[in-house]
Amino acid sequence: MLETNSPAHDTTLTAAARTPVYRARGLTKVYGTGTAEVRALAGVDLDLYPGELIVLLGPSGSGKTTLLNQLGGLDLPTDGELKYRDLDLTQADEAQLTRFRRDSVGFIFQFYNLIPSLTARENVALITEIARDPMLPEQALEMVNLGARLDHFPAQLSGGEQQRVAIARAIAKRPEVLLCDEPTGALDVKTGIVVLEAIERANRELGTLTVIITHNAVMADMADRVIHFSDGRVHDYQRNVRRAAASSLKW
Amino acid sequence: MLAHLDRKLFRDLRRMQGQAIAVSLVMACGLAMLIMSRSLIHSLATARAEYYQANHFADVFASLKRAPLSLVDEIRTLPGVAVVEPGVAAQVTLDIPDLDEPATGLIRSLPDLREPQLNRLFLRVGQWLQPGGHGEVLVSEAFAQANHLHPGDPVTMILNGRLQKFRIAGLVLSPEYIFEARPGSALPDNHTYGIFWMPYEELADAFDLKHAFNSLALALAPGANESRVIAALDRLLLKYGGSGAYGRSDQPSHVRVSDEIRVLTILSIGFPLIFLSVAAFMTNAVLSRLLTLQREQIAVLKAFGFENRQIVGHYLKFAFVFVLGGAVLGTLGGIVLGGQMTQMYHMFFRFPDLSFHLDQGAVAISLLVAALAATLGVLGAVRRAAKLPPAEAMRPEPPASYRPAFIERTGIAHFFANTFRMAVRNLERKPAQAGFTIAGLALATGIMVIPNCFHDSVGHILDFQWDTVQRQDVSVGLEEPSSETAKFAFRELPGVVSLEPFRYAAARIYFGPHHRQIAIQGMDPASEHERIIDSRVHVMPLPSEGLVISTKLGEILGAKLGDRLTVEFLEGRRRTVEVSLAGLSEDFSGLAAHMNRHALNRLLGEGDIITGASFCVDATIWKTFLHQLKAVPRVSWVVVKESLRRNFRETTAASINLIQSIYLTFATIVAFGVVYNNARISLAERGRELATLRVIGFSQSEVGAVLITELVILALLAVPLGLAFGTALATGIIHAVNTETVRLPTVFTLHNYAFAVSVVTIASTLSAFVVLRNLKQLDLVKAMKAPE
Repeated sequence: MLETNSPAHDTTLTAAARTPVYRARGLTKVYGTGTAEVRALAGVDLDLYPGELIVLLGPSGSGKTTLLNQLGGLDLPTDGELKYRDLDLTQADEAQLTRFRRDSVGFIFQFYNLIPSLTARENVALITEIARDPMLPEQALEMVNLGARLDHFPAQLSGGEQQRVAIARAIAKRPEVLLCDEPTGALDVKTGIVVLEAIERANRELGTLTVIITHNAVMADMADRVIHFSDGRVHDYQRNVRRAAASSLKW
Repeated sequence: MLAHLDRKLFRDLRRMQGQAIAVSLVMACGLAMLIMSRSLIHSLATARAEYYQANHFADVFASLKRAPLSLVDEIRTLPGVAVVEPGVAAQVTLDIPDLDEPATGLIRSLPDLREPQLNRLFLRVGQWLQPGGHGEVLVSEAFAQANHLHPGDPVTMILNGRLQKFRIAGLVLSPEYIFEARPGSALPDNHTYGIFWMPYEELADAFDLKHAFNSLALALAPGANESRVIAALDRLLLKYGGSGAYGRSDQPSHVRVSDEIRVLTILSIGFPLIFLSVAAFMTNAVLSRLLTLQREQIAVLKAFGFENRQIVGHYLKFAFVFVLGGAVLGTLGGIVLGGQMTQMYHMFFRFPDLSFHLDQGAVAISLLVAALAATLGVLGAVRRAAKLPPAEAMRPEPPASYRPAFIERTGIAHFFANTFRMAVRNLERKPAQAGFTIAGLALATGIMVIPNCFHDSVGHILDFQWDTVQRQDVSVGLEEPSSETAKFAFRELPGVVSLEPFRYAAARIYFGPHHRQIAIQGMDPASEHERIIDSRVHVMPLPSEGLVISTKLGEILGAKLGDRLTVEFLEGRRRTVEVSLAGLSEDFSGLAAHMNRHALNRLLGEGDIITGASFCVDATIWKTFLHQLKAVPRVSWVVVKESLRRNFRETTAASINLIQSIYLTFATIVAFGVVYNNARISLAERGRELATLRVIGFSQSEVGAVLITELVILALLAVPLGLAFGTALATGIIHAVNTETVRLPTVFTLHNYAFAVSVVTIASTLSAFVVLRNLKQLDLVKAMKAPE
C-alpha cells in the first residue's frame, strides 16, 4: 500500500479523517416530466477528499456525466444536497458558479474542446489570463510533454496532442479539482495511455482531486477509489490498496 | 415523400425564423424601393400622358412681342404644323388682402367664344368664363388654395398699370403648369406667384394687343420634324419680336416632371441592386450554416435514394421562402412609400388626378430579381452539399484550420489579448462573411449620409446663398425698361435703406453649336445687394466688360474663360454682339448671366436704362413699405427674399423629412439585420466553443465580449467605408439630379457623419444585444457533447 511517499498519496491515507472537498447527499436530477420523466441521478451520497484520484465507472446512460456536470457547476440538481467546501452548489448564483469554475475546477472533455483559432500556448494562456494563481502556459505544456509544439493550432495537432493541450489548459490554473469526461474516449490505446499518464502526473504533482468518468473498467486500476455507478446511483465503492501506474494499463 | 420534405422545410424555417425575417426585411428594403420608384414612374408618366392627351397639350411654344392675328394663317401653312393657337400673355401684379407683399403672376387669354384647341384647362371648381362676359378670371388651383381664394371671390390686379377688380369664376389646372413656378425658380411659391386666365378681348384690350397675339402654341402633324418647324417658325416670327420657339423638351413644367422621372429611374436601379446584393449574401450565409448542420440529413436522404436535383430543390425552397417574404413585405412597403411620395408630389405637381398606381410589372420584376439574387447567393453552397458522397457527409466536417491573422504576422502579436486574436483570426478565416457584413454596415452608414446631405445642402442654400449672396430684402421688376429716373420714384417708398437699380435684357447666348435663352442681368459694379460668388466661395468683383455666367451655363455652352460668346438681344434694337466670357459664378437655381449694367446698356445701344431695382428695407416699417409697393404702377414682378426663403424651407422640409424617414428606416433595418444575422450565425457555429469557454471559467459577459469584439472590428472597418460610400453616392445623386433649374451644393458636415454613425451604431448594438441575450440560454452541457 505504501509504494510512494509523495505528499499527494499521503493525503489519501488520512483522507477519511479530513473534510471532504465535495459532499453530496440524496443528490437527484430529473429530466422531463410525466411519462417522459428520466431520473438521471436517483439519490447519490458521496464524499470526495483532497488529492484523491477517483474513477467513476458505469455503462452509458448510468448518469455519470450528469453527476460530473453537477460537480462542475454546469447544471443544478432537482433535489438533494451538494456542497463544494462551504459553497452550496444547489443554491449558488450564476456569478458564484462562474467564479467556482474559474478558480477551482479544471475540465477535460472527451472531444478536447480546444479553441480552434488559438495555438496550443494561447489556449492555455486564455485561462492563465483570468486565473487567480496560474502557472506559466509553457510550464503547463511542459508538464504534459508538449513543450515543443507550443505554436501549433489544434488542426495541426493529433488527437492525443490536442487532449494533452486540454489537460495543460485545465491544470494551468492549479485547480483543486480536475474533472475528466471520458478523456480517452476518442483516442486509440497508445495515445490514451499517454493522456492518462499526464492526468496521473497532474494529480500526483499538484495534489489535485481528480475525477475520471469512463466505461472502460481497465482504468479502475489507476484509481485510489473506484465508484461503480448504475441507474443513477452509486452501486458500489472499491478502494485500491495500490494504484497501478497508467503506463501499465492495457485494454 | 416530397410532401414530408416540405414539412421538414417548414419546421426548419420555424427554428430559424429570426434570421429568415432579417433576410426578408433587407430584401424588402430593396424591393420596396424598386416597386415604389417603378410605380411612381408609371403613375406620373400615365397621369401626364392622359392629361396631355385629354387637354391637347401643345408640342411647340413661342412668345413674341406682337404679331397680327392674320399671321396665324401663314403659320398654319408651315410644313408639319397641324394646329395653331395664338393668345396673349402678360405679367400682372395682384393685391391679395391676406398677403403683405404684392403677388405676381402671368395672365393668359382664352378664346372668347370657343374652347381653346390646345392647352385646354381642367375646371376643378366653379364655372368657366361666360362667353362675352367681362370682369371674370380663372385662377390656377395652386395659387387659389395657397391664398384661400374661392369662386365668387373678388381679386384685384394691376393690368398694364391699371388697377382693376375681377371676380373669380373658377379654379383651374393647365397641362402647361403641372409644375407651376416663377420662371427659373427651383420650387413653386404658390403664395406669391400664380397663373390667371381671362377672355382674349378683355386682355388684348388692356395690353393694346387687339387683333394681335404675343404667345403661340402649336400642335405638330404626325411625323413632323420638330426642329424644322421651330426653325421655320423662328424665321417667321423674327420681325414680330419672336424670342425663340421651343418644344416640349424645353417646356419648364414638362422638364420638371421628366426630371423627377429620371431621378426615380436612377433610384429604381441603383438602390435595389445594392440592397439585393446584401440580401443575397445574407441568404448565402444562413443557408451555408444550415447545410453544415444538416450534412448528415443530406447524406441520409441521398442514401435513401433522393436525387441531387431534389436536394438542391429542397434547399433552394428555403431561399425562395425568404424571397417570397421579402416580396410581400417589399410590395407593402412600396405601396406605403409610394402613397406618401404621391402625397408629397401634390405639393409640386398639379394633375387633375394623380393617384398612386401599383405597377404590377414591377412587382413581378421584383420577385424575379430577388429570386435570381437569392439563387445566385445560395446555388454554390447548395450544389457543394449535393455533391457530397453520402459516406463522407455522414462524418462531421473536419476541424477548422486557422492561422495567425494578418496583423499578427506583422510581428506585433504580443500586444493582443487572446480573445482579440480569436476575433481577428475568425474574421480572416471567413473573409467573405466578414466582407459582406462590412458591406452591409457600410451600406447602412452610407444611405444615412444621403438625406442629411440634402438637408445640409438646403440649409447651406437657405443661409449662405440668401445671406451672403443675395443681401437685398426685395427685388422689383418694371413692366417696361425705364430711364434711370424711375429709381427716384422707388426712393420715395418708405423705409428704403438702400436701393440698387438693375437692368435685365432678354438675349440668346450662342457658343459653337449650343445656345440658351436667358435674361442678362446688368448690375452696378459696386453692388452691395447681389454678389457674385466664384467656385472657391469668394466674392468676385464684376468686371467692367464681359459676361459672368453660371458655371452650369458654361457647361451647357461648352465655353471656358476668355471665349468669345455671341449674344443676340431679343429686345430693343435686337443687336447681335460678341462678348468675352469674363467669369464663372456659382449659383444654385436657374441659369444666370451678369454684366456691368453700363456695359450692357452700351451693347444694347441704349442710354442709362433700368428694368427694376433691389431694396434693403428698414425692418420696422417693412409692412408699410410692402403696402405702398402694391400701389406702385408698372411693377411687373416682386420677389421678397424672406417669403421665398420661408417657402423654400417649408417645401423642402416636408420632402426631406419624408426622405429622411425612409432612409432612416432602411439604414436601421439593414444594420440591424446584418448584425443580427452575423451574430446568430457566430453564436450557432461556435456554440460549442462558447460553451467550453463558459465551462472553463469565463463569465457570460466575457464570452459575449468575444463575439462583440468581432462585431466591433467589423463596424470599425465598415464605418469609414460607409462614410466614403455615402459621400460618393450623395455626390453622385446630387450631380445626377442637378439640372438647369435646381443645383444643390454638395455639403458634408461632421453632424451628418456623426448622425449616420450613431444610427448604425445604435441599430447594431440593439441587434447584438438581442442576439447575445441568447448567451444566457447557452447550454453548458453542450460542451460535453460530440462536435457537430
